Amino acid sequence: MLQRSYLTQVWHQLSSPAAGHGEKSAKTWKMLTFLVALPGVGVCMLNTFLKAQHHSHEQPEFVPYSHLRIRSKRFPWGDGNKTLFHNPHVNALPGGYESHE
Amino acid sequence: MAHQAHAYHMVDPSPWPLTGAISALLMTSGLATTFHYKTTTLLFLGTTLLLLTMFQWWRDIIRESTFQGHHTTSVQKGHGYGMVLFITSEVFFFIGFFWAFYHSSLAPAIELGGLWPPTGITPLDPFEVPLLNTAVLLASGVTVTWAHHSIIEGARKPALQSLTLTVLLGLYFTALQAMEYYEAPFTLADGVYGCTFFVATGFHGLHVIIGTTFLMVCLLRHTHYHFTSKHHFGFEAAAWYWHFVDVVWLFLYISIYWWGS
Repeated sequence: MLQRSYLTQVWHQLSSPAAGHGEKSAKTWKMLTFLVALPGVGVCMLNTFLKAQHHSHEQPEFVPYSHLRIRSKRFPWGDGNKTLFHNPHVNALPGGYESHE
Repeated sequence: MAHQAHAYHMVDPSPWPLTGAISALLMTSGLATTFHYKTTTLLFLGTTLLLLTMFQWWRDIIRESTFQGHHTTSVQKGHGYGMVLFITSEVFFFIGFFWAFYHSSLAPAIELGGLWPPTGITPLDPFEVPLLNTAVLLASGVTVTWAHHSIIEGARKPALQSLTLTVLLGLYFTALQAMEYYEAPFTLADGVYGCTFFVATGFHGLHVIIGTTFLMVCLLRHTHYHFTSKHHFGFEAAAWYWHFVDVVWLFLYISIYWWGS
């Protein structure tokens, strides 16, 4: 009973705040936050912004495929024909894009 | 004065399990009536009752623990098991949706054009907003770990700073994803692609909102000095849940956004 498994010993060493070896303190995670994590987010933000500028803003072509724009039953909102996040610019209705007035 | 001869918490009688069960009944029947008869009354009542139940039940737990001291180490241990089991059940919930996705995408039906993504579907570029979303959630995993170590070390300002950053990142993810939902050239009604995409990412998004709320409550509690450096299980549970949300996203990103494009 006095014998602890090697794993338990290692676990106790790593989890006690007094241990010096291999522990990650708040300071380390703060550095990781401002030197790695947040700059990583910044780089991805820049990348997204730049890529979005290259997009054409044309509507995707409408082909009346029968396996898309399925309407087995009316939606329980509005006119029952538009999805919840309907975007008239990129989401065609079963008959085609809505005409812009 | 009576004392208990054990380390456990025998909870006082409470009405919240009953109101919770009633809200479950009202929400399920309410959802059915909303879909069939377009009336939202039952659903609205059920949702209100659910919110009231959650608020009052968890407020009672905070009273019993932080203010009355009932949460001994043994009680905390039991809560740990409970949270792990709950998260495990949620993992299985998501496994179902991943199963559906792989079932449909590994052997695409002839009606879809025999390929994945199906004919006519323009998938989102995985290296635009989805990649940003991945960076946001990974960063939030780092900030929540910074917060945890800060709480352990009794560093109040860094703890508040890092926890706030975590919440902001969570909100940023939700905002980005809502924008993606609006801008997507495909919808929920676009066959099995739209269905698997929006149901899997939709439930994930709901879990992000839940996790962010949990972390916001922890932030509020920490400003009110509820947590000590040795006793902060509410925060740990929130952090575990947040890591789970992050891992689910990584699976979604690799499977649906990247491989699925």
